Amino acid sequence: MIRVTDLHRWYGRTHAVRGVSFGLERGEVVGLLGPNGAGKSSTIRMIAGVLEPHGGRVILGDSDNSEHPRTARAVLGYLPESAAVYSEMSAEGYLLHRASVLGVPRRDRRSRVGSAMERCRVGSVAGTRCGALSKGFRQRVALAGAIVHDPAVLVLDEPTNGLDPNQLRDARSLIVELAQDRTVLICSHVLSEIERVCQRAVIIGGGRVLADASLASLRRSRGCIAECQGVSGLEIEGLSVASDRTEDGWTRLQVTGEADDLREVVGAALARRGAVVRELRDAAESLEDVFVRVLEESAGGREVGGGVS
Amino acid sequence: MIAALAIARREFGSLFRLPVGWIVLALFAFLTGVVFVVSGLQPGVPATLRGVFSVSTVLVILIAPAVSMRLLSEEARTGTLEVVMSSPMSDLQLALGKYLAGMAFVLCMLAVMLVHAVVLRSVSSPRPDWGPIAAGVLSLLLLGSLCVSVGLLASSLTDSQTLAFLGTVLALVCWVLATNVLPGYVPAWLGASLSAASVSGRIDDFSRGVIDSEHVVFFVSVSGLFVCLTAVSLRVRRWL
Repeated sequence: MIRVTDLHRWYGRTHAVRGVSFGLERGEVVGLLGPNGAGKSSTIRMIAGVLEPHGGRVILGDSDNSEHPRTARAVLGYLPESAAVYSEMSAEGYLLHRASVLGVPRRDRRSRVGSAMERCRVGSVAGTRCGALSKGFRQRVALAGAIVHDPAVLVLDEPTNGLDPNQLRDARSLIVELAQDRTVLICSHVLSEIERVCQRAVIIGGGRVLADASLASLRRSRGCIAECQGVSGLEIEGLSVASDRTEDGWTRLQVTGEADDLREVVGAALARRGAVVRELRDAAESLEDVFVRVLEESAGGREVGGGVS
Repeated sequence: MIAALAIARREFGSLFRLPVGWIVLALFAFLTGVVFVVSGLQPGVPATLRGVFSVSTVLVILIAPAVSMRLLSEEARTGTLEVVMSSPMSDLQLALGKYLAGMAFVLCMLAVMLVHAVVLRSVSSPRPDWGPIAAGVLSLLLLGSLCVSVGLLASSLTDSQTLAFLGTVLALVCWVLATNVLPGYVPAWLGASLSAASVSGRIDDFSRGVIDSEHVVFFVSVSGLFVCLTAVSLRVRRWL
């Protein structure tokens, strides 16, 4: 549904986006990650058609966004980082306006707006001026504006920017709900948000794609950790076991090996020894660990080889 | 075209959701009303709106930039322009929608003239000559169109409403100077070309009740040119 090929963008002499390529299939939910200045927002804006690529192509649905912008953008719902709405309009008025700009037939506008308001849970503020809404509600209204024409592709730039923890949780559940029947690209600094919502991540650094894979395959296994009692000198064939003590006197075992998930093997070994186990968990990298590792590796790669892509 | 009309409808509505629209309308109605009473409603003077049109010409030159200054710069400042530019509509449709909104406001402003005309008709004898009045209203409409389109272009070039307003007024002043004063100081062939682009000469013709199709075409063409330039400016914004 989205295919980005060899995208380039300059700002003056700064080559901000350098040959970015990736694709999203129908129904995929993908996170676009990167440090500040990595080229994420430029990439997102080029996908949304707000910026014109200086090189490369963006295909939305079946249409090239530069050659057939109106057809391409018709399948797109875009929520920019600012989540800007017209402050002097009511929430419902704003959505009706967006519906007409986005080409929703007049006879369907009320029902589409009603449906978008219901999905984004903004029905209670339908008549309220957008300028008088809380940041969380404004964000929801802006999101409703992005889905009012029922687009197949949703591009969200920092959708939870500036929200408090309660609003953050609501926004996250809303995105998960919207992602059920759409192709979604989310650009965010909040890695936990990407971790909960996305199946795949594209990590951008220095204007290049540094990693593009499913979250599961991006994470390196670091074995598993068990906290238990009644076991000492545990040895498991083919695995390395390190142990230490927790503050409250339990034994903490860190088991590492080749397999991705060692919990079953370790659990069985502990059971055979009659150990009392209070915790057994996979110690795979968090997305934050992956993010830092990928950036560090790319920095190393650049030093050695002049760039990682 | 539906998208352009949707843009126009929203923009026109927003002018009246904010105090600025009402204040500008009230100011225009008050000032032209005073001039009408002082110059047009005196015993023994001809039943015309010439005095009102003279003042209105200046007012339109000042008010149209005030209306057009926010058309695109405000959207750029608040970030809504990014949402609009991701919509399935061309830059020309966006520029056209904004221009139509500005023109709808100018029309509302000039509707005050109807009240003046009705009052004039009811109190004057002989009845007023409607030709010069219609020509005067048309001249203000065309002048408003030109000023709004110039202001629209200025508004597309900056995120600041103040800069857009000042830029528009400056451009209009330069235009008037270049086409009225400069021809006397430059070679004849250049002076003739500059004079051909004069606005004030054409407005004077309208105020005498002459509706010259060449003048109408001039104003419509120049307005169209600036709307197209605004679309180009939006296109360039995507490239920068």
